[in-house]
Amino acid sequence: MAKLSDRTANALVLGAVVTGFLALMAIGLLGVSVTQRNLAFTDRVAHTYEVQDAIAEYRILNEQMETARRGYLLSAEAQFARDFQANLERLPQALQQVEDLTRDNPQQQARVARARAITQRQVEAARASVALRRAGAIDFDNDVAAKETRALRALTAEMARDEARMLTERNSERLGSVSQLIAVIIAGGVLTLAIAVGSLWVIWRYTRDLTESHQALAKLNANLEGEVANRTAELRRANEEIQRFAYIVSHDLRSPLVNVMGFTSELEAAAKPLDALVERLEAEAPALLTPEAKLAVTADLPESLGFIRASTQKMDRLINAILRLSREGRRVLTPEPVKLDALLTNVAGTLKHRADELGAVIEIAPNLPLVVSDRLALEQIFSNLVENALKYLKPGRPGRIELRAHRRGERVIVEVIDNGRGIDPKDHSRIFDLFRRSGAQDQPGEGIGLAHVRALGYRLGATITVESALDLGATFRVSLPVTLSPDAVAA
Amino acid sequence: MNDSRHVTIVMVEDDEGHARLIERNIRRAGIMNEIRHFADGGSALRYLHDDANGPAHNGPALVLLDLNLPDMSGTDILADVKSSERLRRTPVVVLTTTDDKVEIQRCYDLGCNVYITKPVNYESFADAIRQLGLFLSVIQVPEANA
Repeated sequence: MAKLSDRTANALVLGAVVTGFLALMAIGLLGVSVTQRNLAFTDRVAHTYEVQDAIAEYRILNEQMETARRGYLLSAEAQFARDFQANLERLPQALQQVEDLTRDNPQQQARVARARAITQRQVEAARASVALRRAGAIDFDNDVAAKETRALRALTAEMARDEARMLTERNSERLGSVSQLIAVIIAGGVLTLAIAVGSLWVIWRYTRDLTESHQALAKLNANLEGEVANRTAELRRANEEIQRFAYIVSHDLRSPLVNVMGFTSELEAAAKPLDALVERLEAEAPALLTPEAKLAVTADLPESLGFIRASTQKMDRLINAILRLSREGRRVLTPEPVKLDALLTNVAGTLKHRADELGAVIEIAPNLPLVVSDRLALEQIFSNLVENALKYLKPGRPGRIELRAHRRGERVIVEVIDNGRGIDPKDHSRIFDLFRRSGAQDQPGEGIGLAHVRALGYRLGATITVESALDLGATFRVSLPVTLSPDAVAA
Repeated sequence: MNDSRHVTIVMVEDDEGHARLIERNIRRAGIMNEIRHFADGGSALRYLHDDANGPAHNGPALVLLDLNLPDMSGTDILADVKSSERLRRTPVVVLTTTDDKVEIQRCYDLGCNVYITKPVNYESFADAIRQLGLFLSVIQVPEANA
């Protein structure tokens, strides 16, 4: 299955939801209209029932009146006469009721008018027959009332049939609207279901894609972490190897150096009696002393020995520097809270004598931050930097060294600013290399200090940068983590 | 002084130059005791344990020990000497180029009597040996069977 892009998925879900709402609204409106129509049909059906009732009522009254009249004609009992009178009186109202209810139907109105005419004749005839009977006569052969009653019976039956037909029609209409309503409701349900299923499918697919990409990301992350851990371990091993290598090499170099130095001294010691011998020869038997021999003993020999001595001494210093660096690299760091104020004051204090001699001042800014780091390493870093600043002042300009620090996020930036002779920008990266120096070589040193500072800094998780130009002083910036992490200590 | 005259100095040193320099300076310091030189750990241990004139059987001795040897580490020899019933009272002077604190501590822990770092500066070196001579003249080296 193709992956859905976020935008497509969002558009699809939104579209589905909107379509669903619109469809539901349309179905709701349709439902309302269908229901209204249904109500109207129902009203009409009910009306037909009413009309039927009214017609039936009228017919019953008519039949009861006729029955009562016949009864009276046969028995002349007063009760029949009272019944006849009562039904007769109610007849016009009943007919009026039918007329009122059928005002929407001209055919029935016409029939009502005919019925009224027949009723009038019927009632007149009936009254006449009753009055005749009261007088004692009976004329069954010429009974107009009975004839009119039969006519009326036929007419009302016709009316009732008409109403029954309409009832059937209206009922079927009503039923039709009900099934329409049901159809609308079913359509709405199906549509809603379809939209719900569609939305669910889109959401499910989107969620599944999201989960998959989450898992992929997590896997990638885990891999990355593993990779970083591997690399770190490799680096650590490489670093340890270099440390060990440096240590062994410098140690093994020392051994022959002891010999070179030792036997040079032995040679110097041996040269002394030779010297004395040359002096004696010169005084007692100058003829035996050739100029070459004299030059060799008094000048060449001491000069050569001097060079050997100076070189071996230098080599010794270099080897010691490498040893010190490798030893520093192996020292276990112990992070502790360090107040930079106190630490820098201490550093400045140990160098105060030198500064006074040079007529330089060291200023420390107030309110310096606190860091958690290795105190000894920090002391060595800042001693080295301040020592360098004192070492490379500009002759003729009163030295001024400023120490500042400020916190920036999770790091503290310490600045050592001097107004000394400065460093040529092309040498900025070189000065941090071991045994490399910059500018006029008029100061003692092997080019170890800054290499040492940088190596120590790395162990503290710090970076050291320089900003300087010739004659314009130099600013060394040490960016330290506020808290030295235990991981770094373990490395 | 009488005792020290009989003390044999057992020098375990693989570097011929160092050995020669040490010997010269010992002699210059006025120490005339016999010096037995071994260039590797194996032969030195054989002498110490098995030789008829060695310290395990006869006569007191003092061991001058270099830590960097071709066949074994000097600390192994030190440990061997100090754990041997017959040799453990024999003074051992470690004389080596290593000035690592951890290594020095380890030697003292193993029972080394004096630890001297070979200085590259020859004057300091000669000085150290002369002081060793002084040390030799005052210590009482126990008899092997005492």
